[in-house]
Amino acid sequence: MSVNTISKDRFKQFVEALIQSDQRVVGVQARGDRFVFDDLKAADALRLDYDVTILSPRKYVLPPKEPLLKFDGRASYESLQESEPMVLLGVHPYDMAAINQMDLLFSQDEYDNHYMCRRKKMTIIACDVATPSENVFAASMGTATVDSGYDMLLTDIGDAYVVEAATDNGKALMNLMPDARPASEADIEKRQAVWKKNEHDLNKHMLECKPSFLPKLLEKNYDHPVWEEKARLCYSCGSCNQVCPTCYCFDVQDEVNWDLKTGVRYRAWDGCLLQDFATVAGDHNFRKDRAARFRHRLYRKGKYVPGKIGGQIACVGCGRCITACTAKIANPVDVYNQLMERTDIG
Amino acid sequence: MSKPRVAIFDFACCEGCQLQIVNLEEEIIDLVGAVDVVEWREAMSEQSHEYDIAIVEGSITRPEDEHRLQIIRSRAKILIALGACATIGGVNKMKNNFDLNEVKRCVYGKDAEMPHLATTTTRALHEVVDVDFKIHGCPINGEEFKQVVRDLLLGKKPVIPTYPVCVECKAKENVCRYEYDEICLGPIIRAGCGAPCPSAGWRCFGCRGLVDNPNVDAAKEVMEKYNLTVDDLKQKMVLFNSK
Ligand code: SF4
Ligand code: SF4
Ligand code: SF4
Ligand code: SF4
Ligand code: SF4
Repeated sequence: MSVNTISKDRFKQFVEALIQSDQRVVGVQARGDRFVFDDLKAADALRLDYDVTILSPRKYVLPPKEPLLKFDGRASYESLQESEPMVLLGVHPYDMAAINQMDLLFSQDEYDNHYMCRRKKMTIIACDVATPSENVFAASMGTATVDSGYDMLLTDIGDAYVVEAATDNGKALMNLMPDARPASEADIEKRQAVWKKNEHDLNKHMLECKPSFLPKLLEKNYDHPVWEEKARLCYSCGSCNQVCPTCYCFDVQDEVNWDLKTGVRYRAWDGCLLQDFATVAGDHNFRKDRAARFRHRLYRKGKYVPGKIGGQIACVGCGRCITACTAKIANPVDVYNQLMERTDIG
Repeated sequence: MSKPRVAIFDFACCEGCQLQIVNLEEEIIDLVGAVDVVEWREAMSEQSHEYDIAIVEGSITRPEDEHRLQIIRSRAKILIALGACATIGGVNKMKNNFDLNEVKRCVYGKDAEMPHLATTTTRALHEVVDVDFKIHGCPINGEEFKQVVRDLLLGKKPVIPTYPVCVECKAKENVCRYEYDEICLGPIIRAGCGAPCPSAGWRCFGCRGLVDNPNVDAAKEVMEKYNLTVDDLKQKMVLFNSK
């Protein structure tokens, strides 16, 4: 690991050089009064002062619709791999934490080649949050800062960035930053101050327990009235799934050509709040009620997925679902705190 | 196996959905190669009483339409409703909000009593006969049409979304109209269109009709959260989703 400092002016030159390189560069940019990850065409468009993006960087790690294979009747098929080298620029710590979780999930049990190939060709430049969003609660979830997963981490310390190159990829990128100099002690302290501030500020909704209590809290509250109370207003619109950096469910479908023999099998994002998410052959839907689906999402984040990845809670506190929910019921903290009120978690 | 015979019919509509089929251009050739089109007034002069699949556009607005549709139904193994006029009644149902005689006088003036203008309450196809599949939208989406036809040819059940427009709207990274305290029908309208209207800065007008289980009970409370009322919402429903 090497820690350097680079002035913001010089950093811009680095971004230009990166854009000129032969990799695809995706970075955070303004769209209307919000922000999105999109292909970066000019260094000036990069907005590392953003608060939160509408969709999370999941859309690059696990694209919304991805071809898996080409088939020719039942006779033969050929795997399709579309990934290309890509730099993802401006990933916030909570989104980095989410990608780290996905990496674990897609590499265990059934090793997911499509996902892992793409992931291996990806260089991630993370950046600490400079502007807290209106609904972020990463501090409650332990993801206000992050210490792994990225190739490079940037921290805005005023007129300069502290740049930490964490991997070989990250160190290679330092070659595009000839003007960087080793970070001074004062710079390192400024970075510490940003971290400390974020541990405090990124907490617009305060979870009243440690995240590690959540599996137990949920276990005791499968039949709690809060599920019905909230889901009464649920549109089953899946917006809370779409925007979530840790939702990874997908549906697999075939698109067949006019010869009715050849075609492409692809996977596309699904969402556990959608009415037919749990519909299987014969039209049986084992999660028919809105409340059961509403509960499922919060169980997934707070209990089921943590059971697969060593207890890490699969809500990273980005707050996107809170903003995205038209019915204003999706706030996980609000639900978990309501459960806390009526539970002795011992 | 011989190719399935397909006939395309229209009732009260603007024929815009048929136009979407015509607009498939070179893929029309593929379509015509995969099926045997035996009747299609907009594209050919032949007529036939023998067909397996009937694709029907438009709403039912006159007694003789009802009769004709019943005959089509009795001859077709599969009947597909094409476009909003056929699937939900669409814009044609706006007239159901008014007194019929007044509507006739207003639209046809002194000809209002001519027998071929004996219009009655507008109905979607499924309100008259059984409909096997619905291809939604005003107009329909050509991609979805092709996929449905190919699925049927394969004997597969076509995948038509049961979830609301918000899913596709969110995927396009639009900021929700409700965040600006504006009404959008997206949360209760069936997806499949790719949310072009909210993506263009409009709201969803509801042309694909309601999802199977719209949460209508939530409307009052949710609208209040945005200083809107159920009446505001109902007003927006008139265009495509009148009773
Ligand atoms: S559940 Fe909500 S707050 Fe938590 S990670 Fe997902 S979108 Fe973000
Ligand atoms: S975003 Fe809100 S209304 Fe939509 S499915 Fe999620 S909880 Fe329900
Ligand atoms: S659904 Fe719309 S485009 Fe299609 S026929 Fe009716 S009015 Fe025309
Ligand atoms: S703008 Fe309309 S369709 Fe889009 S998310 Fe909001 S309510 Fe849904
Ligand atoms: S967004 Fe709404 S009005 Fe527009 S095409 Fe889709 S269903 Fe129709």
